[in-house]
Amino acid sequence: MSDTHPTRTPSFEARLKQRYAAERRFKALGLGAILFSIAVLLFLLVTMTYNGFGGFSRVELAVPVDFAKAGLTLDPTLKTSTEKIQALEAQGLPAAIVSAAGAALGQDGAAQLGANGWRDAAQAIIAQPSMLNGEASLWLPASDDLANAYAHAGQAGLQPLASRLAAQGKLANRFDGGFLTRSDATDPQQVGIWGALKGSMLTMLVTLALAFPIGVFAALYLEEYAPRNRWTDLIEVSINNLAAVPSIIFGLLGLALFLGLFPSLRSAPLIGGMTLALMTMPVIVIAGRNAIKAVPPSIRDGALAIGASRVQVVFHHVLPLALPGILTGTIIGMARALGETAPLLMIGMRAFVATPPGGLTDPATVLPVQIFLWSDEIDRGFVERTSAAIIVLLVFLLVMNGLAITLRNRFEKRW
Amino acid sequence: MVTDPTSQPLVKIRARDVSVYYGDKQAIDNVSIDVPIELVTAFIGPSGCGKSTFLRTLNRMNDTIPSARVEGAIELDGEDIYRSKMDVVQLRARVGMVFQKPNPFPKSIYENIAYGPRIHGLAENKADLDAVVEKSLRRAGLWDEVKDRMADSGTALSGGQQQRLCIARAIAVQPEVILMDEPCSALDPIATAKIEELIDELRSRYAIVIVTHSMQQAARVSQRTAFFHLGRVVEYGETSQIFTNPREERTKDYITGRYG
Repeated sequence: MSDTHPTRTPSFEARLKQRYAAERRFKALGLGAILFSIAVLLFLLVTMTYNGFGGFSRVELAVPVDFAKAGLTLDPTLKTSTEKIQALEAQGLPAAIVSAAGAALGQDGAAQLGANGWRDAAQAIIAQPSMLNGEASLWLPASDDLANAYAHAGQAGLQPLASRLAAQGKLANRFDGGFLTRSDATDPQQVGIWGALKGSMLTMLVTLALAFPIGVFAALYLEEYAPRNRWTDLIEVSINNLAAVPSIIFGLLGLALFLGLFPSLRSAPLIGGMTLALMTMPVIVIAGRNAIKAVPPSIRDGALAIGASRVQVVFHHVLPLALPGILTGTIIGMARALGETAPLLMIGMRAFVATPPGGLTDPATVLPVQIFLWSDEIDRGFVERTSAAIIVLLVFLLVMNGLAITLRNRFEKRW
Repeated sequence: MVTDPTSQPLVKIRARDVSVYYGDKQAIDNVSIDVPIELVTAFIGPSGCGKSTFLRTLNRMNDTIPSARVEGAIELDGEDIYRSKMDVVQLRARVGMVFQKPNPFPKSIYENIAYGPRIHGLAENKADLDAVVEKSLRRAGLWDEVKDRMADSGTALSGGQQQRLCIARAIAVQPEVILMDEPCSALDPIATAKIEELIDELRSRYAIVIVTHSMQQAARVSQRTAFFHLGRVVEYGETSQIFTNPREERTKDYITGRYG
């Protein structure tokens, strides 16, 4: 027996100080990492919002139109808005708009009205048919050239006109809600994100409908039923490798396999979703297997011991307990699929699609591909539209993840 | 019917020359035991001697371990439970099990009990099921403590209550045999006493086999005791005889605390 207790010696106390110092260093490092991440995220969000906000507005011209004088009517028997627009066009709405613009803005001003400006007027009439009985002041999109001139860029010749109209209050940058309801166009004044958004939704739907059940059943079988042998080891290694394969390879696979089988479905969300499902499935399998492994064996034993069959054990006990983990994996896989561009380029989803897809087999594009396409455009007006599209993509991602997290929390149980 | 523990009772489970292997390792070596009806049989012995392994062969829970292999014959009411046509699901409904660590399902107390009767179709309707749940909880001595909180999670109960919940869950499917694998090892003395009382009450209806590390518990609750050592049964007989007058030297050493 020594006189001094070993935990009360100076060397022990010095070591204790070192241990606390190490803990402080570790905490500082962790905090630093978190702060750095938050700063980067804030920078991204702030610049994105600042740049993208302009994408939700466009330069418009004020055109007062006397509809009563133009003598237009809207047949109430017409049902679809397409039919109504066609009827208004046949009655000479475009000419009426041009003449009204000429009167209000001068001939040089009327020439700078967007070529499809009358369509916006037609939409306004459909929304409020009583407009046809009197006078109305409409804000209609300016031409791309005038919009550039308004921003002090593009053709120098148009800038005096832009300044004059702006000074008269007839030219302004106005909020453009139509960005969320229109589809792709060649004119940045006329583009919208709805076609790509709908394409993304349909594609994600197909991906989820295929990858989730296949992934979950594969994980359940491998974890609960498959014997442990060389074959299952091989399958496990293959699935792990599949999760790490570059996404463009999946695009090539989709091109060769799915488009080889269904050549007429080029650019369709169905094929896009199937291709992305190939990519998402391994992620769900890996996450699912880990979640299933984490279910305590005592729960399985408890159920087996009162005479539950293996299928009952799996579906009554293991799957409900593993579901939060499986959903987490699904969120990660689906978020990756939503942001994927490369494989979809391979199967033709980069086509110019000016109408939103009506179903799973219609040609479509998706948000990231739309962003990629717009970022490639020369026209200045597309810069802000691209940022706005990115905001739409991020919001879609947030909504999707929020939904999945809500679902996960609902299923979460403690044991 | 009250059975005199000294008379020759009816045999519920007959095990003959049972050997169990985990891969190449032999865990049980030629064990032959008769588990009597309406009595409590205790398995005692040092850790790793194979008591739990042997217990798990009686309702084929070892089937869940891929490397486990059972040789010899185990009969329940004269039927070989390892024959190829034996239905394991039915066997486990007839031979219930309570584990060392309480393992209630992370569901409500009601669902914990109702699960077994429901999957086996033992209740005609909701009222029937309610009655089964109440009866099982009453038999497990838990009814008064939980009757007002049936919707609470089974995992929210205390350790002793959880273990009684697991016993109630086992008896809800009306088994013929209940296997208990150290049911009190995680419990305090009060909870242990309650479970021992419960075992004593239950033995009139079921054949009960209990694995325990506590000599006192074996002496208190059982009428038959088997002493396991290194995968073999060293001695099997009436509990009073094993504890007062063991035939084998090793049994005597173990129960007097000289080793194990």
